Amino acid sequence: MWRDSLLVAGKDLRIEARSRVGLSQVAPFGIVALVLFAFALGPDRTLMAKGAPGLFWVAVLFCTVLAVQRSVSVEAVDGARDGLRLSGLDPAGLFLGKSAAIAAQLVVLEVVLGAGVVLLYGASIEVPWLIVASCVLGTIGLAATGTLYGALSAGLRVRETLLPFLFLPIAAPVLLAGTRIWQAGLSGGTASYGGPWLRLLVVFDAVYVALGIVVFGPIQESA
Amino acid sequence: MSPNHNVPTSPAQSFRARWTTRIIGITAAVATAVTVWLGLWVTPPDETQGDLVRLVYIHPGVAWVALYLAFALAAVASLLYLWPRTRSLFWDRLAAAAVEVGVVFNVCTLISGSIWGKPTWGVWWAWDARLTSTAVLLVLFLGYLALRRVPAEPEVRAKRSAFVALFAAVDIPIVHFSVLWWKTLHQGATVLNPNLSPTIHGSMAWTLLLGFVALTLVFVWMLLVRYRIGVLEDWLGTGELDLALRERQAEGGSLDEDEAA
Amino acid sequence: MRYVVAGYVIVLSILFLYGLQLVWRRRRLTRAVQRVVAGDTAVPPGPGREDR
Repeated sequence: MWRDSLLVAGKDLRIEARSRVGLSQVAPFGIVALVLFAFALGPDRTLMAKGAPGLFWVAVLFCTVLAVQRSVSVEAVDGARDGLRLSGLDPAGLFLGKSAAIAAQLVVLEVVLGAGVVLLYGASIEVPWLIVASCVLGTIGLAATGTLYGALSAGLRVRETLLPFLFLPIAAPVLLAGTRIWQAGLSGGTASYGGPWLRLLVVFDAVYVALGIVVFGPIQESA
Repeated sequence: MSPNHNVPTSPAQSFRARWTTRIIGITAAVATAVTVWLGLWVTPPDETQGDLVRLVYIHPGVAWVALYLAFALAAVASLLYLWPRTRSLFWDRLAAAAVEVGVVFNVCTLISGSIWGKPTWGVWWAWDARLTSTAVLLVLFLGYLALRRVPAEPEVRAKRSAFVALFAAVDIPIVHFSVLWWKTLHQGATVLNPNLSPTIHGSMAWTLLLGFVALTLVFVWMLLVRYRIGVLEDWLGTGELDLALRERQAEGGSLDEDEAA
Repeated sequence: MRYVVAGYVIVLSILFLYGLQLVWRRRRLTRAVQRVVAGDTAVPPGPGREDR
């Protein structure tokens, strides 16, 4: 399973490295989103700084949708999905591999967006480990659920409109938790404040990664 | 003479099934009417909440149906469909019926809760755990229904829907706790306490109980009818195929007759 | 009190209209099934298929 996942992750990341869609399209989209948020919230800098955690995570969520769409569409061409199914790859490994690839792209995106938030909204990072921890845990959860829903909607022509609608409500706890932890991390709140939220993210991640490992095979069969 | 190889077997409903549904429907309607009569006229207003307490006869009833009954039914039915030993399209159709009726009750929950909230808290909406989880559940249910509308083989559609239901079922408790902590752990937030259990006694208690029973019966009736609709729709889906086959064979048959003549 | 009445009216209307819609759907589908079973090839079965 682990070997297969590394194979798949490597393949997806190589495709990404060659096409650079993430870098040239998704990241700029994230920045655009941050700029639009700034326009929406008006010139009040304190308001923007206060909203920075939430806006960061909303931007990350939207970028996740794009990254998942990309990850699914990569295999939609030329019956590559059937090829994957017949190749004898362990479906759990396939799940972990695709999630890992998405997670890697998300991490890069979060660095970019994080820098954007610090620069554009005047946020300052007081407790770095909280920020990093929330990003790591949040990314795992987003990648796992995104891969699951991507697989569910893989063959559908309405995937573009359906995937966000299906995925974003499921990702809501990550948004809630990530925002709270960032609030603590940006304003110097106590680490104990972030504690329960980190635990929530761990539970979320564990549940959906476990689900994905178990369920990804049957999903592939019915797609 | 057209060969009749593929006459689809009629999905006729048994006499008992039809009358069970009918009786449940009538009982539900009567119980609801009585609840309304008791709730709006017979029972006295509450000391603290005044007439607003009358919504308590309706709101918890629809809420329990939408948030617990329909949701749990959909989740369990989906699981049973996914489990190989119990796999049967019956569970899939039951889940779909539960979700669709659940959406209707969910909307009723949100509306009745909102109307109760306006004079009580002064706002149409509050981001407390229960209301927010209800709203998220509604969105998840709607996603389920949207996915179901995508044309597919019944088994494929069933499997897809079941997975979505499963993921949603797992997510809702997490969302609920997230929002709960969001409100209570957030420094400085006022904790709104929706006091939906005022001191209830006497006729009010009975009306409350009747409200629960009546709305549950309404749900069951709607579930049965919606399930039946699902059976008919699926049958027509394959029935059309059989019809096309028969027509094709009829054409072939008439050609043979012409040649034989 | 008008809030209460509004609440009752809205909720009951929603339930009533949805119930009505269910009954109507069931009736229409049952009739369509009966047509198919009777071998009525001239009339297209199923909801909304006018292009046969």
